[in-house]
Amino acid sequence: MIKRTLYFGNPAYLKTKNEQLLVELADTGEVKTAAIEDIGVLILDHQQITITHSVIAKLLANNVALITCDDIHLPTGLMLNLDGHTLQSQRFQLQVDASVPLKKQLWQQTVTAKITNQANLLAQYRIPNKTLLNLAARVKSGDSDNCEAQAAGYYWKNVFPLFPGFKRFREGEPPNNLLNYGYAVLRAIVARNLVGSGLLPTLGIFHRNQYNAYCLADDIMEPYRPYVDKVVYDIIRGNGKFLELTPSMKQQLLGIPAMDVVIDGGKSPLMNAVQRTTASLAKCFEGNSRKLLYPVLPPSFV
Amino acid sequence: MNFERLNAYRIMWVIVMFDMPTETRIDRKRYAKFRKQILDDGFNMFQFSMYIRHCMSRENAEVHVQRVKKILPQKGHIGILCITDKQFGQMEIFNGKEAAEALLPAQQLELF
Repeated sequence: MIKRTLYFGNPAYLKTKNEQLLVELADTGEVKTAAIEDIGVLILDHQQITITHSVIAKLLANNVALITCDDIHLPTGLMLNLDGHTLQSQRFQLQVDASVPLKKQLWQQTVTAKITNQANLLAQYRIPNKTLLNLAARVKSGDSDNCEAQAAGYYWKNVFPLFPGFKRFREGEPPNNLLNYGYAVLRAIVARNLVGSGLLPTLGIFHRNQYNAYCLADDIMEPYRPYVDKVVYDIIRGNGKFLELTPSMKQQLLGIPAMDVVIDGGKSPLMNAVQRTTASLAKCFEGNSRKLLYPVLPPSFV
Repeated sequence: MNFERLNAYRIMWVIVMFDMPTETRIDRKRYAKFRKQILDDGFNMFQFSMYIRHCMSRENAEVHVQRVKKILPQKGHIGILCITDKQFGQMEIFNGKEAAEALLPAQQLELF
């Protein structure tokens, strides 16, 4: 089931009636409705949005990822519900008790999937990717050789041919701002689905920064990052100018949840693919499986 | 992502049509309750006694059909119909003699 993404970039008053979300647009006075249970992600991106408490409560009860943005329109906060799954406390316990070898194996699979997707993205744009393919084949348990960083070094140098000196870091030059935006949306989707699978997004399998509240989300989203990079690449190609985020760029970046990805041999929207990934992770923690299900970017355009 | 691709997931519309007695106070109360419950489930009024809901997939449509079946009132004549988005799109709508705009399905991404 494809959940909806609602984005609010204009003054609006959000309230609820008959279990539905009612949106009163301030400029036109128009009233629109949306079924709360059909929403997956809701983004608040205007300083003049008023939202009632009962809307927030109902959104969270339906496991909606509620994202708030700051005055420069970058996502700052993510709100998730406390009980996303009936077996939650059992799953939390299994997650906490997960053995180090299991975590290392899962991280190995994650890094391999990420580097493969990066390599395939480069292949789509006819950029040499031999280095990455070699690295992907060499990832050890727990990525002890840090292939991920080596791959990133090569990848970021080559992925945007229009910017020969491109450096990826959070406060860096554009198109870093586009990447940040896309990753924030992706992170919200992953965190939402982790909660939906009864897992704690805070406890990672590799990331363990004490200041990071979404370590597991950051782990699991790694192989999905190249999909965001692909969208950003297409935006740069199409626009040329991207020093500022325009609504049309946001529209493209917000299309990420509905993007088609190939997972387990079948096409599916990215949001559903993430759901399958988090479900497979829960199975690994339960001890029923040792394989994480990740999507594979095709090496050529389909 | 174009809409045809999303349509591969069988976007459906569920239509609930009902005739219910309103002679006695208790009948009217039952009618009001039933109407309120289907509104709570996300149905919108299309015409009097005819409510429609957009569902993103066939499975999702089945969920809402089951929910309506669970709250059926004691008396009254009720029809539940599922049709595909394509069939729904072929409906012609008029205001008097003037052709009116067709209803749009809920977009996966909506910017307000």
